[in-house]
Amino acid sequence: MSIRPPTLREKHRYILARIEPAGTLLEQKELYYAISDATTSLWGDATTAIITPAVVALEYGHVVIRCRRGTERELAIAVSTVTACRDVRISLRIIAASGTIESLRERFRPKKIPKIKSEPEKTATGTDSGEEHVLPECSFAKKTFLVLQCNGHKVDVIEKGFKNTNRLFLTKDDLEDLNATTISDRI
Amino acid sequence: MKITDAAVYPYPIGDASVRRLALEAAALGFDSIVAVDTPSGTYGGVEVRSGLMIRDVPVKDVISAVKRSKDSGRVISVNAANNNFNRAVIGLKGVHILRGIQSADKLAFDHVAAKMAADNRVAVDIDLSPIIMGRSVARQRAIHRYMDIMVLEQRFEFPITLSTHARSVLDMRNVRDIAGLCSLIGMDVPDVERALAGVGSVLTPPVPSVRVIA
Repeated sequence: MSIRPPTLREKHRYILARIEPAGTLLEQKELYYAISDATTSLWGDATTAIITPAVVALEYGHVVIRCRRGTERELAIAVSTVTACRDVRISLRIIAASGTIESLRERFRPKKIPKIKSEPEKTATGTDSGEEHVLPECSFAKKTFLVLQCNGHKVDVIEKGFKNTNRLFLTKDDLEDLNATTISDRI
Repeated sequence: MKITDAAVYPYPIGDASVRRLALEAAALGFDSIVAVDTPSGTYGGVEVRSGLMIRDVPVKDVISAVKRSKDSGRVISVNAANNNFNRAVIGLKGVHILRGIQSADKLAFDHVAAKMAADNRVAVDIDLSPIIMGRSVARQRAIHRYMDIMVLEQRFEFPITLSTHARSVLDMRNVRDIAGLCSLIGMDVPDVERALAGVGSVLTPPVPSVRVIA
């Protein structure tokens, strides 16, 4: 079967969305099902068939979703109703829409910074010397929490212990432990 | 004009601190939020207004709660119930927002209540959480009720507020998403802009249409 000439091919658009909370591990297929389910639930089968949503990339905490040209608005509304992916609570924040995947990749790919010194990379525990990864602790509302994610002023924590595994979303100012306010931005 | 999310629930009701919700709101394009049972303040450039939610109580208790919170600067909201209750609440001085219309019965908010809301400048809240999180019949019902509210709003021009009722930063949506979701209930961009500024408009005293100058 020969490939169709460009004028007869379907025109696509790509939507870039950031996955929140940061650091959530998802599979591309599961995310596709979540988006497809949200689209079908909101617009019905007929419109979803026109939109034809597809997850084409899932990298660096971002997802690139493909749709047919002219249906970006419908897809964006449907994407804003995605609240979970296989029992994991998530939220998709739409950043941009484009005609090519590559132009969207430029937006989220980390820029390469030339290393000046060849220092060992520091982690939460110290150095990458095969030590067990220990999350830093902090306290909030008279409870002890483990810091999962720290980005600028935003700190995501989880209560210490195995009973309560709900993530709390705090800021550095909320933390009562002074040491926690000096934790590294990269955990 | 301040773009406001008319209801968020910080920790301990929700799983995010009020500071984090404010930071997130700033990133999503909001100027202010109404945080339930939280002192007011400003965090990260976002004004946090204190909100009081009155629900499941008779009118007598609503009156006393409103009296207690008078001049406190809090945004006072009352959960809608039947038609008589709603009319009584809308008539009360000090009530700012009537919420939960989508959960009240079909005749809870009629043209008389709409006229009263317009006269007393009581806003009707559009809670976006049933549209975001609801599926199937629950969402369909909410969209239908909101479309009905919008018909009354076009006729009587009472204030509208928009809220995500976010209990987490994951429940919050940016202004563009909110405009998209509101298009499902027949709101165009000027309607959404007016609704996002609804909290500010109900808190500021109305300018009299006739002013005596001598």
